Amino acid sequence: MAYSQALRLTSILLAAVSFIGLTLGSGLPAWLAVFTGVALIVVLIRHVAAGPIVHLAPHGLFSPAGWNLLVIIGFLGFWVDMFLVSGELLPAGIHFLMILMVIKLFNLRQRRDYLHLYAISLVAILASGSLTTDLWYLPIFLLYLVAGVWTLILFQITKGFGDESASPTSAPSVQVDLPGRVTPQLFWLANGLALVCFGMTVAIFFTIPRLSAGFYHKGFGENIRTSGFSETVNLGAIGPIKRDPSVVMRIEVTRQEPHSLDRLYVRGLAFDQYDGKSWTNRLGYRRNLNEENPGTFLIRGQQGSAGSRLGDTIQQNIILESLDTAVLFAAPFVERISGKFPAVQSDLAGSVYLPFPSASRIEYSVVSRSNPLLPADLGSDAPLYPESFARHFLHLPYRSERISRLSEDITRSQAGPYEKAHAIQTYLTRNYQYSLDAPLAGLDRPLEEFLFIRKTGYCEHYATAMVIMLRMVGIPARLVTGFLATEWNEYGNYYVVRQQDAHAWVEVNLPHSGWIMMDPTPPSNEVVRNESPAWQALGRILDSVKLQWNRFFVQYSAADQLAVVRELKAGGKSVGHRTLDSLVTILSPFTRLLGMIPDQLFRGSVQPQAAILGGTALFLIILLWLGMKGIKGRIRVDKKATLEEQRIVELYKQMLARLADNGIAKAAGTTPWEFVHVTRMTWGEANSAVASITELYCKARFGGILLTDEELQLAKDRLTQLTSMEKP
Amino acid sequence: MPLQLPVFVRRSFRHRSTRVTSEGLQFLIFTLAIGIAAINTGNNLFYLPLAMMLSLILISGIVAEYCLRRLEFHRHLPDLIMVNHPVTATLVVKNRKSSLPSFSLVILDVSDGQDLDRGITLHHLPAGASRLVSYPMLARRRGRLHLEGIRVATEFPFGLFMKKALYQVEGTVIVYPEITPLSETLLRGLTSAGQEQALHRRGHGSDLYNLRLYHAGDDSRNIHWPTTARTSQLTVRETEAEEQRRATIRLQTTVPASYDAVFEQAVSVAASLVQHLSYRGYLIRLIVGSSCSEFSQGDAHLYDLLRMLALCERCAPTGEIDASDHHQAESSEGEGGTEIVVQSWGGTAGVQPDHPTILINGQPVIGGVHGV
Repeated sequence: MAYSQALRLTSILLAAVSFIGLTLGSGLPAWLAVFTGVALIVVLIRHVAAGPIVHLAPHGLFSPAGWNLLVIIGFLGFWVDMFLVSGELLPAGIHFLMILMVIKLFNLRQRRDYLHLYAISLVAILASGSLTTDLWYLPIFLLYLVAGVWTLILFQITKGFGDESASPTSAPSVQVDLPGRVTPQLFWLANGLALVCFGMTVAIFFTIPRLSAGFYHKGFGENIRTSGFSETVNLGAIGPIKRDPSVVMRIEVTRQEPHSLDRLYVRGLAFDQYDGKSWTNRLGYRRNLNEENPGTFLIRGQQGSAGSRLGDTIQQNIILESLDTAVLFAAPFVERISGKFPAVQSDLAGSVYLPFPSASRIEYSVVSRSNPLLPADLGSDAPLYPESFARHFLHLPYRSERISRLSEDITRSQAGPYEKAHAIQTYLTRNYQYSLDAPLAGLDRPLEEFLFIRKTGYCEHYATAMVIMLRMVGIPARLVTGFLATEWNEYGNYYVVRQQDAHAWVEVNLPHSGWIMMDPTPPSNEVVRNESPAWQALGRILDSVKLQWNRFFVQYSAADQLAVVRELKAGGKSVGHRTLDSLVTILSPFTRLLGMIPDQLFRGSVQPQAAILGGTALFLIILLWLGMKGIKGRIRVDKKATLEEQRIVELYKQMLARLADNGIAKAAGTTPWEFVHVTRMTWGEANSAVASITELYCKARFGGILLTDEELQLAKDRLTQLTSMEKP
Repeated sequence: MPLQLPVFVRRSFRHRSTRVTSEGLQFLIFTLAIGIAAINTGNNLFYLPLAMMLSLILISGIVAEYCLRRLEFHRHLPDLIMVNHPVTATLVVKNRKSSLPSFSLVILDVSDGQDLDRGITLHHLPAGASRLVSYPMLARRRGRLHLEGIRVATEFPFGLFMKKALYQVEGTVIVYPEITPLSETLLRGLTSAGQEQALHRRGHGSDLYNLRLYHAGDDSRNIHWPTTARTSQLTVRETEAEEQRRATIRLQTTVPASYDAVFEQAVSVAASLVQHLSYRGYLIRLIVGSSCSEFSQGDAHLYDLLRMLALCERCAPTGEIDASDHHQAESSEGEGGTEIVVQSWGGTAGVQPDHPTILINGQPVIGGVHGV
């Protein structure tokens, strides 16, 4: 491909990549995305259709003045957009940028037009970076880098071609050895430079000092809308989000055997008052937590209790997406929480909050300790609770005889509060069906409808029913909303928690054990995700990669750099280990995938992994094949297909043909110089020309010497001279 | 104690210089702007393009260095260079790297510390390959033209910076004075002086020596047709032996600095005279200041004399030098031949002309340099 053609193509691709980045980042309205996309396709088709006869100044649709007028109209449109349509600078600026890009794509006349296009695409890729933190930005950035390296190289090489004013020399230019086409050597060089550039980019990215001294900090995208985590929650509020697969958080459990828990309850809010249709948290008064160390907050009331309680501790690292609630989720019950927070608050029900919802993804660590069931609570009678306690946790919205009778019936044979609670939980689990199609929200007495008529419902209905039934038999209880994490990502060693994992359960207060957790909801028979196991595995791998992307790129901060510096100061031995650990973590999805193959082989369920591995292997084989093809092509080019060598070989062949016509044929076993001798004997007049061509042929063919244009011209002249001779 | 770089680093980068191109300047401004945006927002996805741009800058330097490394230059200058006469110089450039090609090489001559742009651009020089380039050269001054080296520059790979490297390829060539057409007056003066000096014997010349009858073997071109017609006998003409004519050209070098331009004209006139008389077969002797050549003829002698003129230098007028010039003038008398004196300064009391004055056998030639 000719240089000018290649430059035009890479410039269009550069613009296309930045446009795709903006489109994926939802930075463009549909009409503008379609308009720009169509413009790019048209320009690309024009380029392909024009073939090699593309010049830097093709005939355009308008005159330069016409294009300038369009730019002015676009600029006026920008002001209208900013004040009347979008109302903000950034969206209006992005829209104007795309209009400018389209204008420039159709108006690539001079080199400065190319420069303008590159500047526009650079701003566009920056804008897409400001609109997202998703993983797709990485491949887009990589494509942009490759296209950018190619474009810059071609732009430099074409400098001075047909644009004498741009030439760095003022003297008449002597252009030597101008191939004018992209050679295999340049192809590999450009791709190699792109690879090196990527490596250096990553290295520089991690070493640039992170300073945040700015005045303009902005979150990324919109918050995920949640249900069930406000002060008042209507019964049935969780139902609609139970089909939403959006990821809301990822939880690494560090002080447990990997995946020793098949499910993890992630506590959000607790509610004490039910009015028959909705739950309210009357203990929602928040107070700031004490900061034990910078960034570590201790829950009041848990201080110093570790020794007296025997529950297991669970340490979690949680990456929480930006949600519309300030609640900090964690396994019950939170003892200590650490993160880059200015302050952390908690209420009397043990829920933990930020002062305000975070506009971006946050990461924090939590140490939780569950309350074990103490033997003292087995078989003992319910004690008398203080009035203030009973007002909250034994409160009933109304007296329902049917529910009361049912509760009495279930618990009559049980002695203590725990046994009674367990009996109610068992009753609900065994006798009711789980269904998300339970529209109880509009009814007067939804609880009665659930317990006595429909007998189907979902977590909120079960949990509400159990709390009310417990309170009717005098056992304090409260409803808790949160998530039930069941999706374990074996490639990244963490739980993936989605919107559809939103859950409600019950906390029962026992005299000695305190609040213990009970869940009356039966397992769901509904298949929410009906993807094949291979796709699910691929999804988990991708999710793990997303987590690493988020951790190592998006969330990389000055604190991480400081940690590295501290390690270096401390002696530096562990820095290497840390780096290795980080690399292992980044590559963990793939190493785990490989590591799991033997296990899966013996279990006989190798299909998903085999499908992924097979695909990967096929991809690698294709890459390898392409690479080998390129190397072979290069070797071929290096060994025998340089242009100069081809030309002299062709001239030598023509000389042999001419001599053969005159009856002097070269035998297969005769060397070139022996043949010169033969020619001298038989046709002395031709000897000079034959010797000259043979000498150049031998120099190029066997001497590995590249011939100059003058030498090639000499050989050509000699051949012409030979052709004009007549053998006597 | 000042920071000492390792020897190999100093050796490698001693002859390097870097200049930012206009595109590079724009690139740097963009990099700065993105850096500010990254610091301001704290957005890591701004740091990523910033890191990319910084890596492009680093790669520019590294790749440009590799492009300029291990090149070999052989320059060939013509033997005869005259002032204001264009000549063609050739240069062989070889890439001695085993695997890496060089791209976009701009080649410049370096003379007196100045880069002389010859407009040579090598777009692609594969590893191990060599290229022969030729370029026009025009010398503006006579004397020794010393080319110190070759500066090679590249903007490869990204056109952000122009990196230059200096290769020590020294070359010296003598630039002869400019040869200019002599005026008709001067030529007439030379002819008449030559006739006075002519030796009356037969030889290969232009002036008539004798007429005689044609003999077998005589060159038919020498037949003198008017006499043949008049006498009805084939008559040939014989010419005088001109090769025996002698001329001494004396160039006055004692000239004040303010007459430098006139002196250069005088040198040019002297060179033109030397060439003219040499082509006419004269035995020529050249006296330049205190230097004096032998009487001789032929191309080798011509180039020796032109070389003398190329290297002669003007001397400030002092009593000694004046005496030396005068002594030379006197000593040249009596050795025979035409004496031609080229003066660019008439002395402290004389009239100061704008052009050199030419004296043939002591007689000034009026308008002698008008044709110059």
